[in-house]
Amino acid sequence: MNHFDEMTALLYLEGQLEPDRAREVYAHTAECRECADLLRALQHEGIWLREALGTDEEPVPARLLQAPERKTPWGWIAALGLSAGGAYTVWTGIIDPWRAQAAQSGFTQGSLLTMLFFSGTFWKGWDAMRSLVEFLSMSTLTIVVSWVLRRHWRRLTTTAGIIVGAMLLATFALSVPSASAAETEHGHPNYTLAAGQTVPTDLIVFAERTTIDGDVDGDVIAWSQLVTINGHVKGDVICGGQNVRINGTVDGNVRAFAQSVDVIGTIGRNLMTWSGETNVEDKASVGGSVTFGGNDTTLAGKIGGDVLGMGNSLDVSGTVGRDLTVRGDHLNFDSTADVKGRVKYVGKNEPEIAQGAKMGSFVKVIPKHGPEYAGWHFYWHRILLWGVGFVFGLVLLLVVPHFYADATVACKNYAPAAGFGLLFLFATPIAAVIACITVVGLGVGIATLLLYLIALYASTVFVSGFIGEVILGPAVGTGAMIGRLALGLFILHVLRVLPYVGGWILFIAIFWGFGAMVMAIYKRLRPQLAGGVPQPLAASRV
Amino acid sequence: MERRKTAEEMSAAEIGEMLARVRQGDTDAWGELYQQYAAAIFRFCRRALPTKEDAEDATTEIFVKVKQKLGTYDSSRPFTAWLYKVASNHCWDSLRRRRIRQDLETGDLETLPLEHPDPNQLEQLQIDHTSKEVRAALGKLPDRARMALVLRYYADMSYDEIADTLGVRRAFVGVLLLRARHQLRDVLAEMMPGARSVAAGGTS
Repeated sequence: MNHFDEMTALLYLEGQLEPDRAREVYAHTAECRECADLLRALQHEGIWLREALGTDEEPVPARLLQAPERKTPWGWIAALGLSAGGAYTVWTGIIDPWRAQAAQSGFTQGSLLTMLFFSGTFWKGWDAMRSLVEFLSMSTLTIVVSWVLRRHWRRLTTTAGIIVGAMLLATFALSVPSASAAETEHGHPNYTLAAGQTVPTDLIVFAERTTIDGDVDGDVIAWSQLVTINGHVKGDVICGGQNVRINGTVDGNVRAFAQSVDVIGTIGRNLMTWSGETNVEDKASVGGSVTFGGNDTTLAGKIGGDVLGMGNSLDVSGTVGRDLTVRGDHLNFDSTADVKGRVKYVGKNEPEIAQGAKMGSFVKVIPKHGPEYAGWHFYWHRILLWGVGFVFGLVLLLVVPHFYADATVACKNYAPAAGFGLLFLFATPIAAVIACITVVGLGVGIATLLLYLIALYASTVFVSGFIGEVILGPAVGTGAMIGRLALGLFILHVLRVLPYVGGWILFIAIFWGFGAMVMAIYKRLRPQLAGGVPQPLAASRV
Repeated sequence: MERRKTAEEMSAAEIGEMLARVRQGDTDAWGELYQQYAAAIFRFCRRALPTKEDAEDATTEIFVKVKQKLGTYDSSRPFTAWLYKVASNHCWDSLRRRRIRQDLETGDLETLPLEHPDPNQLEQLQIDHTSKEVRAALGKLPDRARMALVLRYYADMSYDEIADTLGVRRAFVGVLLLRARHQLRDVLAEMMPGARSVAAGGTS
């Protein structure tokens, strides 16, 4: 037999050779001093390694030797407190003012989701869609609660059962759509509801010209070049077209999207327009508020509530029952103007206020760019928002640790991540909207949109995790990853508040992180690699 | 007062009884189990992971996993072996996650031929270095090499268990161990003043 190699010697010593081969090695060793020396040296090396590894020169840290205690998790309490504060800030600073504004404009429903979908007034189908969204939200919440309770399932069967049962009931109750009836008319090419005629339900009209001379007990929804309401509508009027004229009486709200909107008659509740030109003429009356967005707006009539709007110019010569808030370039008050409440004008040009114009008070605000750096509130809010991001990141890290690690790692590939990010950032909502259009894809589309919003937020978390690792080095263990996440989020929050570049930095972080997420998802979905790939990467273990 | 038994002194029946209590939600039994094995798991992690802090974190995390996975433990097998398996999987996962972040600089090394060692120099190397130095050298090895040596020569795992933990074919474990030994020798040789390799020439 020839000399054996070191590999064979090692396998022989470790008892890993086939019996026949082992016998050959043994026999050869008896004759060959060179191979016997190698075998002995390797054997000694094995013993020496075991001794060296088994020696304990370093004491075990005292904290590890103590039985695990329930310590007060101050870090968690602080982070949760901050996040609660952050959520409160988001609510009071963004959502609630928006709700208030919307409520001021006539969207008075209490539920945020209902608000989102305009109380079903734009399209009756929104009700069903809203129910679907609520159903999806409640189902997701149910799944999350079930997941959280899964470990205590045996011990908390009753409690868990009650909670989940209640949630399912709520889901079911929310998902039952309410029935509604409507009459749909198509003009040939025009549609006219003659005077003296009454439509007892809602009226939906698609025509070149729509004229309502009669009465409608429900809402009027019209898509026409010219919409004229001369009669009496007891519900709301929702219309889109080139020109909209309200000569008659509308008991509810008027919401119009048109090139020009003229109100000559009476609107019982609120007026909302999005048009090039809006005129509330001097004999017109709006019982509630007026909300407008458009180029030129004239308010000569009587408005019972607030006025809120933005556009190029606003001329006021009528009466406003409450506050007037406007953002634009030009604001003119005629001598007959009478605003009972406060006037707030955000714009660069000086307003023209004629002698005799009345108003409770006047505030002019020069529009500012960027946040208020001088106030402590600003920094406090940033800390609270950091808390929100941190807790969100923690949830991701603890619930989907491998995905978190993959997405953070993927951030390292700047160029592909940025490329995929930009692509999917724009493609995802488009695909979701297309899915929504098809009835089958409605659920998928809405779920995608909701996930998309969550993903947008999550993308900054992954980038933060990566930034933390770049600074502190790669993380081993959850604790280290949490520390890096906290640091990265802090840095990102600091960068975000930089004047001029902050917004761009946030945008870059979003599409970069979004792309990293896409890459991490792709990594999970792609087929397993065949041999030839370095083992630790290709290997998968249960 | 009766001294608490160490893990080594406990019989299989005693361990089984302790585990049964842990499964029933007995927090005292869990505390006892933790105290019995925490030091051993820390020592294992200290050898498998690069820093002391990593080992401390990993020890805590491993016990969280043990608590979660205790239901999957097959009581017909030794508990210590199962515990080391959980620990080694955790450590390797941590290292692997970190390895992905690093370039796979060790990939090319796998195909390099190994030089045949000189038995005399190999034995001299063993005489020249203390256990502390060996452990320091171990810390300088690539993750997979260090892990292979620790699993085999500290945790006393079989080739099958090592293959399973590291996600390699069983036939590759021997190669992995031999290369790890070579890398360790090289690191130790470099630590000596006037360093020279233990290779005798030729390749194996």
